[in-house]
Amino acid sequence: MKIIDILEVRGHARGGQGMVTAFEILAKIFSYCKNYEVQAFPFFGVERTGAPIQAFLRISPNPILNRSNIYNPGMVVVFDEGLIESTAVFDGLAERGIILINTTNQPSFYKGRAKNIYTVPATKISVDLKLGSKSLPIVNAAMIGAILKILDADIKTAQEIIRKEVPAKPEANSEAAEIAYGCVNFWKDESYKINDSKIKPVAVPSNHLPVVPYWEKPMSMNKTGNWRVLEPNYLTRQPPCTDNCPAGTDVRKFVNLVSNKKYKEAYEVIYNNNPFPSICGRVCPHFCQQNCNRNVLDEQLNIGGIERFIGDINEEYRFESVPLKYDERIAVIGSGPAGLTAALRMRRMGYAVTVFESAPSAGGMMRTGIPEFRLPENILNNEIEKITEQGIEIILNTKVSVDDVAEDFSAVVVAVGSHIGRQMNVSGENDSIEGIEFLRDIKLNKNQSKITRGDRVAIFGGGNTAIDVARTVLRLGGTPTIYYRRTRHEMPAIAHEVEEALKEGVKIEFLKAPVQMKKSISGLFQLTLVDMKLGKADNSGRKRPIVMEGTERTLEFNKVIKATGQTFDDFVFQNEKIIVKQGELEFVPGNIKIPIFCSGDMAWGGTVVEAIGSGNEVADEVNACLRNIKFQKKIINNDVVSSDQINYNYYLPIPSQPNRFKEIINLYNDFSEVVKGLKEKEVVAESNRCLHCGDCFKCGNCFNYCPDAAISIDEENRMRIDYDYCKGCGICVNECPSSAIRFGEELVVKERDKLFIKNRLN
Amino acid sequence: MKTKEEILIPNPRELKNHTKKVLKGNTAAAIAAKICRATFVTAYPITPQTSIIEEIASMIARGEYDAVSVNMESEHSVFAAIKGASLVGERVFTATSGQGLLYAHEVLHAIAHLRLPVVACNVGRPSYPWNIWCDQSDSLAQRDTGWIQFYCENSQEVLDTIIQAYFIAEKLHLPVLVVLDAFYVSHTNENVFIPDQKSVDAYLPSKINGQMDIDIYHPKAFGGLVAPDMYDKFNYLFWEDMNRVEAETNLAGTKFEKDFGRKYSAVESINIHSDTKKILVTLSSITTTVRGVIKDHPEVGLLKIRLLKPFPRKSILKALNKVSEDCVLITVDRNFMGDNEGALLSEIKKAMYGQTRKIFGVYAGLGGRDVPPATIQKIIEIDINSRESGEIVWIDR
Repeated sequence: MKIIDILEVRGHARGGQGMVTAFEILAKIFSYCKNYEVQAFPFFGVERTGAPIQAFLRISPNPILNRSNIYNPGMVVVFDEGLIESTAVFDGLAERGIILINTTNQPSFYKGRAKNIYTVPATKISVDLKLGSKSLPIVNAAMIGAILKILDADIKTAQEIIRKEVPAKPEANSEAAEIAYGCVNFWKDESYKINDSKIKPVAVPSNHLPVVPYWEKPMSMNKTGNWRVLEPNYLTRQPPCTDNCPAGTDVRKFVNLVSNKKYKEAYEVIYNNNPFPSICGRVCPHFCQQNCNRNVLDEQLNIGGIERFIGDINEEYRFESVPLKYDERIAVIGSGPAGLTAALRMRRMGYAVTVFESAPSAGGMMRTGIPEFRLPENILNNEIEKITEQGIEIILNTKVSVDDVAEDFSAVVVAVGSHIGRQMNVSGENDSIEGIEFLRDIKLNKNQSKITRGDRVAIFGGGNTAIDVARTVLRLGGTPTIYYRRTRHEMPAIAHEVEEALKEGVKIEFLKAPVQMKKSISGLFQLTLVDMKLGKADNSGRKRPIVMEGTERTLEFNKVIKATGQTFDDFVFQNEKIIVKQGELEFVPGNIKIPIFCSGDMAWGGTVVEAIGSGNEVADEVNACLRNIKFQKKIINNDVVSSDQINYNYYLPIPSQPNRFKEIINLYNDFSEVVKGLKEKEVVAESNRCLHCGDCFKCGNCFNYCPDAAISIDEENRMRIDYDYCKGCGICVNECPSSAIRFGEELVVKERDKLFIKNRLN
Repeated sequence: MKTKEEILIPNPRELKNHTKKVLKGNTAAAIAAKICRATFVTAYPITPQTSIIEEIASMIARGEYDAVSVNMESEHSVFAAIKGASLVGERVFTATSGQGLLYAHEVLHAIAHLRLPVVACNVGRPSYPWNIWCDQSDSLAQRDTGWIQFYCENSQEVLDTIIQAYFIAEKLHLPVLVVLDAFYVSHTNENVFIPDQKSVDAYLPSKINGQMDIDIYHPKAFGGLVAPDMYDKFNYLFWEDMNRVEAETNLAGTKFEKDFGRKYSAVESINIHSDTKKILVTLSSITTTVRGVIKDHPEVGLLKIRLLKPFPRKSILKALNKVSEDCVLITVDRNFMGDNEGALLSEIKKAMYGQTRKIFGVYAGLGGRDVPPATIQKIIEIDINSRESGEIVWIDR
């Protein structure tokens, strides 16, 4: 085809498909190769990717004396067939005009639209050559190829220019043009007659704009929803606090209820996963706080302080006992946090549960292992009472084995804890006192005679037992020194407990281990210690301590207490050596027919909250077993909100409300609680520091920043997106402080595919 | 692979010292800054100007253009920085648009009254209601700042005018604003002949006649208080030089034709003769479309105003010299300046003071509204006999 007079081409595409570049390249091809006068220009709005746009191309052998848009094109090029239904793409086309559509349809599909109909599968060609993305393929090179074919231009010379001019992938683009050049379909609609009413100018603005344009809702004249290639959606994501809680407590939820002073509701939220809020508020290491995203901004939230307040303020809160639903009876051996949590959860499901406890009072390690100054007895009694009130029978002073309960019960949960001290394999250690027994005796028998005022006491170990023993010794008038064979960094004890012990006057010596202890006739201990150094990390990830030869020295002490780890009492398995693990045991001792489940410290963990988590899980497993359904462990949530997803610009640094401590004057014989609770005012202030990670807290940023006013707030104060107007710019996603808006591609692609199919069916 | 040059077919219209390229107006402006060897460029993005400074930054980054480009935090700073650089003798360039130019207003006065030979581009767009399309109200609002203003019809003219602008600016110590239409010029790809560096170097003096070369042994301060008598004298000298601009523009255009083969002057008259009945007075890209339409109207003339400030009264009167008294002037204003009449009509009326010629004003193409041949046809067909002289027509109402 030789262009003897001016040829005017109008193109319709979406922003991002490369039409403007395509027309620019075509202008260059016709200028450089054929010496034509050319003009190529876009009609741009404030659009972005996905918005319908127009571009114009004039090619003429003579100077072009027109600088306006094209209203009566000789050729219309449609880069995106989806636009045919939404935009007046064929308006003003001359009767003998040409249309070229990017589609997999045959030209005859567009009968009645124009006389000369061409089609080319440019999207398919481009996607095959990986040009652009699936939601927005860059089809420009393929379209250039098709246009050149229609205008009968030389594709080889044009390809040279395409390779030079495209911003990326020159070879793929050049290939796309060549392929498209070879697969243009043509069909002449002989019956086509122009209908005058079809000639309407495009791109002429409306005469009916208001004097002062204003928009109080989405700009109704500009339905920008179909520009979208990415779609924002509100969603609730897992915050790090909840994710880190072994009991699975919905931390964010109860903290937010507290900020609204809904203390009862907050208590119920905690109680769903944890029947010991007052206890955990005191003794938990607060895994929830450790990864708090507030750490990046100032200080972690004092979740423990809030939990303690909620537990204590709901001291009088009582639960109804639910009616029994099942015939099966379940035995729980051990009334520690794991046993009681499992028992309560199963009772609430509708099972009859009996708990057996060897000690004279219930509570397990909470009763015998945690000293009074950390956990007052009345707090423990109250929380256990609430559990028994819900229909749980606890049989005290009864040491049973699984064999003893196998007859009368359908299942047994073993949660006997770890109350037996481990051996250190040091000569003379049998004369020393076992730490865990020492604590138990103090708590149960109030027997303080083991320590005499003024005693110098050596304690071995680095865990919570060692720390609790040392602080107890201090209160009995002794002078405790803890010897630990690693450094402070490796100490398994709760960090703030170590801090408090040091503050109270406990001495801790690191990298020291005993090699020999000798009790003299006078009752004094000759203790030989050796220095250690740290070697390579062992299986537990901690560095292995190595003896430094020749550093032995001997010191004299009145008492020696060892707290170097505990194990469980295997009486429960008739002294059979069973390797225990969380959940149902595969190898049961003797001839027992009922399923046996393990839970608590004996299986894993070592803190109250881990025991609670273990109890929750075992209860669900027992239920699944008895109801014959497949048990599924809690799924690990990978979508946890991390600090790099928080927009800290929208949060102010606010000082934390720290726990207060009792003033230390004289600790002798003072077993009263050391840490004091927060006041209501402080708790509310602290809960207001929550960042609401992964949860919309109605801050209104998305509403304020949406450039299309496509976000509204409904009657229930929820944020809503009007997708007719959301152009997918992503500003709301960026400006959301708490990462509660997701930005995804798939939905839009699906939506568009559906539209294509619909259009084709019509 | 062959290079682009190898597949070029020689064009009979192509001049010896030129290369033909298909360029947007914005790219032509950037290339002009390069071939004029502007050494200091400041940049702040605003649609539809941004691709000018982007192209300059790219050329510098690719090592094709030896200059310093500095990203600024606002247009006020953009102009303040080139003010400083120009003071110490650098050849400077920048580009802005719409709100950016309005924001720089205060510094524009300072640049002009410090007599700095700055050249800047403005891609015209209006202010409010918010709009990014073609309009001339932004640059016309700067008529009183003391800058010379040129309005360009196409990409070639943008490139050529910037070269001439440095020539005039440095000769008279006055700043020049080169205005191009948003999209219809700024984003329109068309054939542009780029002069080679040697020819441009020959046209422009190699070292600009800077007032204040940096001399660390004789430090100076600028911006101090100027007493009334000095101020008056200073402005008198400014006035004298402003009166020379029209003649210097025509001189620069003639010299340019000699060197590059394209003629430029303060105004261009097309089809103006003793039988002309109507003359359309236009600025910028609308001119091209009028050229096309009047081919079918031998009785209609076209007066293109290229130099708008100072308004070239002598050249206009000369162009209308042979025209009969009953020939009417119709100004086409692509601006609304908050007044009854558009800027072009005001200027034409001022220039026609003491004459009895009928003048009409038309508002067309505001805020990017397209002005196709049909609209020009409508302007030509306005029934002037039934209207009072000086009447205003909103052509699309």
